[in-house]
Amino acid sequence: MILIGELSLWVALLMAAWGTTVGFAGGHYKRPELIASAERASYATFGFLLLAALGLWTALLHSDFSFRYVASYTSANLPSVYKVTAFWAGQSGSLLLWAFILSGYSAIAVWTNRSRNRELMPYVTATLSAITLFFVMTLCFGSNPYARLDWIPPDGTGLNPQLQNPGMAIHPPNLYLGYIGTAIPFAFAIAALITRRLDAGWLAAVRRWTLVSWFFNTTGIILGMWWAYVELGWGGYWAWDPVENASFLPWLVNTAFLHSIMVQEKRGMLRKWNVTLVVSAFLLAILGTFITRSGVISSVHSFAQSNVGTWFLSFLVLAIAVTVYLVSTRLNDLEAKAELESLVSREASFLFNNLLLVGIAFAVLWGTLFPILSEAVTNNKITVGPPFFNKVNVPLGLALLALTGIGPLIAWRRASAENLKRQFTGPVLVGITTGAALFAFGMRDFGALVAYTLCGFVTGTIVQEFWKGVGARRRMYSENAVMALVRLVARNRRRYGGYIVHVGIVILFAAFAGLAFKEEFDVTLKGGENYAAVDPYGNQWRFVSQGVSRYDELNRQTTAVLLDAFRNGKRVGVIKTEKRQYMDSRGVPTFQPATEVGIMEGIREDVYVVLAGVIGEDTAEMRITFNPLVWWVWYGGLIMAIGGLIVMWPQAERRRAQAGYSTVLQPAEQKA
Amino acid sequence: MSNAMMSRRRFFAASAAGVATLSVARIAGAQQAESQVNTGAANAPMESDRYKPVQLAAKGAPLMDQAKRDELEHHLHCQCGCNLDVYTCRTTDFSCEVSPAMHRDVMALVAGGYSAPEIIAAFTNVYGDRVLMAPPTSGFDIAAWITPFIALLAGIALVLVVLRRLRAPALAPAISPSAADATPTEQARLDALVRSDDR
Repeated sequence: MILIGELSLWVALLMAAWGTTVGFAGGHYKRPELIASAERASYATFGFLLLAALGLWTALLHSDFSFRYVASYTSANLPSVYKVTAFWAGQSGSLLLWAFILSGYSAIAVWTNRSRNRELMPYVTATLSAITLFFVMTLCFGSNPYARLDWIPPDGTGLNPQLQNPGMAIHPPNLYLGYIGTAIPFAFAIAALITRRLDAGWLAAVRRWTLVSWFFNTTGIILGMWWAYVELGWGGYWAWDPVENASFLPWLVNTAFLHSIMVQEKRGMLRKWNVTLVVSAFLLAILGTFITRSGVISSVHSFAQSNVGTWFLSFLVLAIAVTVYLVSTRLNDLEAKAELESLVSREASFLFNNLLLVGIAFAVLWGTLFPILSEAVTNNKITVGPPFFNKVNVPLGLALLALTGIGPLIAWRRASAENLKRQFTGPVLVGITTGAALFAFGMRDFGALVAYTLCGFVTGTIVQEFWKGVGARRRMYSENAVMALVRLVARNRRRYGGYIVHVGIVILFAAFAGLAFKEEFDVTLKGGENYAAVDPYGNQWRFVSQGVSRYDELNRQTTAVLLDAFRNGKRVGVIKTEKRQYMDSRGVPTFQPATEVGIMEGIREDVYVVLAGVIGEDTAEMRITFNPLVWWVWYGGLIMAIGGLIVMWPQAERRRAQAGYSTVLQPAEQKA
Repeated sequence: MSNAMMSRRRFFAASAAGVATLSVARIAGAQQAESQVNTGAANAPMESDRYKPVQLAAKGAPLMDQAKRDELEHHLHCQCGCNLDVYTCRTTDFSCEVSPAMHRDVMALVAGGYSAPEIIAAFTNVYGDRVLMAPPTSGFDIAAWITPFIALLAGIALVLVVLRRLRAPALAPAISPSAADATPTEQARLDALVRSDDR
């Protein structure tokens, strides 16, 4: 199986090369047999990459240490589930996963479009094959997972303890699914540019793919935050680390596109802009991989770096050159087909939404790359850390949050003053009330007050939208409220699914703002001693150490401290915080000791305890942190994911015009 | 068959390697070939030589309590190779030797009566600007701070130009009173909106 996998990788290389060649040739010379061959090549590439992936999994599960990858990332005593996930612990495995998912996506895209978008498909197939070809080339010549050692070590190095966590098992594939999802819209954009078929047809084809990419990107980011929070132990979930930023960039651009696509569908405007966004999302995904893989910038998430940076940089430059050429030679085909009727319209608000999303993306990219620029110019190493990103992005983020509430209140085409007044009164009142109430309860942090006021405003907008929709259905179809709500969402999945995503966003912002009230304490406790602290809500906490214990578990030695936690004199639970020293199968310690944070979760706050060290036999040094509202980050993320699924879900029946909802999805030029 | 091959190879490898020291040396070699580079908090490669002493003679009574000192340490970048500040690193990672050393320097300077800006200046003198968590707001590095906002302003200008251009054809027939009436108020609203975005 391993040998088959190794050979399959090389066959996949040939298949991808063939698919690229005959795809472009077939499209150019309009030769159906070549096009059919290219499409079959993309199925074949998928098949061979599947075999290549199964081969590597076999090697990992059998602990075949003659392979460098297996020896570098696993050990004989590693639990089997982590032998499976070690597939993406290192670089060449991650690249293989990339290539494998990409070929899977390509096969699905080719299959679902076998009788649609036929003019575009030769170039779509060819572009996807070309991207796959690049990854397989990098695998074969730059970083081969099947590379062998010239000797066989008795045991492997083992898997980094920080990667031995369920979050790490699912979050990288999830993010990859999101990253690679940008490749399909990119391929469609390239095909549309080549064939000059820049009407709304290609947009409809890529919208669902962008949603798929957005969905996995969102869940991947949230899971990554969760992993960082429970595993890294520094106390937060987002540190504006280069790798985190790299995953955030395509998300921002995809989000911008999912909004601006509506403008093009309804009004035929922003055509150039949409092409640019689709292309940028993909390029940023590649750039993100380049940043992570090349090691040009150090990061807490990057567990594998090496020499493939040059490959990625070359590919990036090539892809940019091709798209710039294609877009610049086709500007005339991208002219707007409609006119803006008013500056106070949904269209205009989407423009500002896009501006902010792209502005944030720019700020994040700029901050991430600035150390390189600065060192080149001033020859001086500097750090661009969280204080920078927070200062720059918080105002932009708050403005974006405000637009989340403003946008849905403004009508398409033209909003009258009367209409604006009617729409805005409720939400604005909710926002002001929220802010005033929090101020009255003693909240004095300016940023947080602004954030919560805006959260209230956006919530007001969303509730009002649902209220109006439900009311209209109840009047028109005399349904009860629950039925009306369910049908409202089911019949207008895009609109109300989108609002559910906005609910998730509001929850996330509220949770982020909670961090302004985080409290940290350095604590040194012997067994039996206690420590008193006051949380941000004014509750009296007392932590009593039950002492330090040391024991062996699975493939590690654990040093644990148990803390009895009392809130306002009442015992609320035990918190266990650990340090783990991992061992290989011969009992030799591997890696530095790893932190296992003790977290007592709650909807108001998490109590987060990190064991910083042990002095002597029984004295533990700990950091106890009250992290307000962190729980809401995970559930806000969940709501976003659910909203995303609702939007993505295939619409079986024909859309009907709803009250307060004009016809959707009709490209403007067809209506005209 | 391939299993038999493997066990034979493993046997030869083991007997050739012979002593354990040699295989340990080789494992080290293999790690170098494809090492799990990890700059995370707990597992950062330790380089204690990255620590440089920052010491000044005491000049008076302490100006800061512990909370202010911890806050100050949030602004100093630990030099152990992690991406954390000194406070977070020293309270997270008990294998880091750099952050406790930097912490001792901070404590000594606080005890010596130095203020927060003075301590930060002392650290930048020794380590350079990389000891700060964010780029300095002087010299070339000010570009880090202002460029995003310049870009945003440029973006707003661009959007306004695009909006006007998209609107221009619409304006021509819009001389009819009904459409023209609404425009000034709408314009004012939009201007207000733009100003509120433009911070």
